[in-house]
Amino acid sequence: MEPAPKRNDLDGPPGSLAKAAGDAPPPAACNAPPASPPSEAALIALLTECQLPLGLYVRSLMPGDAAAHDVLQQANAKIWEKRAEFQLGTNFKAWALAVARFEVLNYRKQQARDARLVFSQELEKTIAEELEHADDDLMQRHQALQQCLQSLKAESRQLLMHRYASAEPLSQYAGRVGRSVSSLKVTLFRLRASLAECVERRLRVEGGPQ
Amino acid sequence: MTPAERSRLIDSLLDGEISEADFLRIEAELLVDSDVRAEYYDRLKLQLLLEREAADDAEAANHAEATASRDATTTEAAVGRADLPTRRAAYLLTAAALLTLAASLLVILPRIVPSDADRASLPAGPLAATALPAESKAKGFALLGGQSDAVWDGPAVESGSLLPAGTLKLISGLAHIELFSGVQMVVEGRAEFSIESPMEVRVARGRVRAYVPDAAKGFRVLTDQGEVIDLGTEFAIDVGAAGTRVDVLDGEVELRHGGSEAQRVLGGQSQRLTAAGIKASTDSGEVSIVSPQEFHRSLDRRLVERVQRWQQRMASLRTQSDPIAYYRTDPADRWSRRWDNIARLEAEDGGGTETLASDGAIVAARRTPDRWGRPDAALDFSRTGSRVRVDVPGQYQNLTLITWVKINSLDRWYNSLFLTDGHERFEPHWQMMNDGRLFFSVKARQRNQDGAAAQHIFYSPPIWDASLGGQWIMLAVVYDTDAQRVTHYVDGKAVSREAIPADHLVDTIRIGAASIGNWSEPMYRTDPEFVVRNLNGSMDEFAMFSAALSDEQILNWYQAGNPHE
Repeated sequence: MEPAPKRNDLDGPPGSLAKAAGDAPPPAACNAPPASPPSEAALIALLTECQLPLGLYVRSLMPGDAAAHDVLQQANAKIWEKRAEFQLGTNFKAWALAVARFEVLNYRKQQARDARLVFSQELEKTIAEELEHADDDLMQRHQALQQCLQSLKAESRQLLMHRYASAEPLSQYAGRVGRSVSSLKVTLFRLRASLAECVERRLRVEGGPQ
Repeated sequence: MTPAERSRLIDSLLDGEISEADFLRIEAELLVDSDVRAEYYDRLKLQLLLEREAADDAEAANHAEATASRDATTTEAAVGRADLPTRRAAYLLTAAALLTLAASLLVILPRIVPSDADRASLPAGPLAATALPAESKAKGFALLGGQSDAVWDGPAVESGSLLPAGTLKLISGLAHIELFSGVQMVVEGRAEFSIESPMEVRVARGRVRAYVPDAAKGFRVLTDQGEVIDLGTEFAIDVGAAGTRVDVLDGEVELRHGGSEAQRVLGGQSQRLTAAGIKASTDSGEVSIVSPQEFHRSLDRRLVERVQRWQQRMASLRTQSDPIAYYRTDPADRWSRRWDNIARLEAEDGGGTETLASDGAIVAARRTPDRWGRPDAALDFSRTGSRVRVDVPGQYQNLTLITWVKINSLDRWYNSLFLTDGHERFEPHWQMMNDGRLFFSVKARQRNQDGAAAQHIFYSPPIWDASLGGQWIMLAVVYDTDAQRVTHYVDGKAVSREAIPADHLVDTIRIGAASIGNWSEPMYRTDPEFVVRNLNGSMDEFAMFSAALSDEQILNWYQAGNPHE
């Protein structure tokens, strides 16, 4: 499936950056094999394009583990460090995901004593295969999500933004807004469910990849 | 399991609050049902995108704040600004966003360097992870393309390495910086600057010349007095306390000051940005700073000169006192597996090579740039099994060993510099401990004879830590039987001196078969103290003398070959 055309009609970045956007070549898709030996700049572009798929992949293997962010960073570093080993003509995404998988395993090894719940190898393998071949529909989803967020009440939106951006524990936030932690949790669950539904609906309406 | 229950389990799984029983249930479902996996992926994507939205949201708020404070005060401290995020909303859909994203993604790259040490200290657990997204907001991303007489406030930055995030202070000298947007900058010290993104550099002070390719149009330099936005090609600025002088060398730039209207400046023109506004520059001449190309041309010229000077000086230094070996890598012959003993080549002209070391046989070690940056002119021993095999036939009263080495890390217990095979009587061993101490010994007697120690080990204090990782240093050790002492040297300076105990004095040093950069197959396998270990690093020179060189001679050797000045 072709990625959706890049839209440039948002009230986007301030002048200078938008201008640069007009002049720069279109970014490479994460799973597009580079035609010639990629320059460092081209590899950065590829790696940048692969951030969401990589993030998704690492998260999928360590659900609910807050260290996923670190592991992703570590994987990025590793990919960059090993960039010379990337073989031309092979799939960058597959290669990058393989490096990331290794970093996840590596992380687990270090955390062995503090074992978390970990998927079986069989499931991990299935997930890895599926995500490697999955269409990247994250851009469409992002657009849909932005629209869905707009339809939320201000306080719901605020709660979500707080939950996903802030280091402040939910209990403190609960204290500030005068609600109980458990009621916030229930609200969060409902909000996520309705956002998920809204995103799916929008994707269907706009004929996004299904 | 009902769909609602399934969703609830996925939700708590992603929230990290699932019980073990529920985890096993949802795992079973995930394994057998592709629909459940599809829902899992969708929810993951939602989580990921929500995080991204939230981060952008927080930034937008920060930005609004920053703009408000800038409007209010017209000036803004560079330091305060450095903490502000630079990512912007909606970047996912634009190429500009790509650059910004690259910036935020690549801030992490400077952390690569001491990977093991880093990994050990990698923050883990929920606290660190929730704090991290806030920290990882872009500072900038660039390589140090080259430097000339550069003195940094803080740890030295090696050419070709990634520049760390945050404020950089170049006390003196020149630095060539390559931003990943394609912008090339030459910065002249004293300068204080920070790379906020591949498209944005803040300069608090100093001279900067920037070449901006088409792809990076819109690149901007922020100063306390205003912004310089490049609309194509080349400009030079001089930022001082009183204002910023802007010379447009070619193309066009735009100057912005506070709320006032932007002003375009064309090639050949010069303007000043001051706290009061933009005005025509009255300075004479031009901002004198070289272009990136000129900079590298002069660097190349200087390098050629310095290498020549070094080789000339070495020619006289190495013949001054009884050389046994002088190994140096010939960059012209990169496939040669022989490390020529130049002392031998020279002696053959005059005869008398019986006590000289053989040429070295290079095993597994790969070519790598030497301390001067010349490709293929050093040996990298980091690959397992790497070593240079040598045979040193004589018997010596004194011994001096000198090498220029670049250590990546001391990740083995023993890190070999020069060791005889096994460890027989009268044989020297020179290596580094993993805590950074130098180790030197000459075995005085066979093990366990009379119950006394077979050897006395002369340790230096720790002289190496990760901050020296990847830097070329000169190590030397002198075993002096006349003065009855052992001296360790780092970069030409004695770091420790120790008397040789009388019952450990060996004036018949023998070497025989030995390895540089590794330790070869021990003769006896029962000695538990040793494990075969190659040096995780590179060498580009190794010298051996059957004399005890003086402090001054060691210092001369260092000064002649020091690439850092």
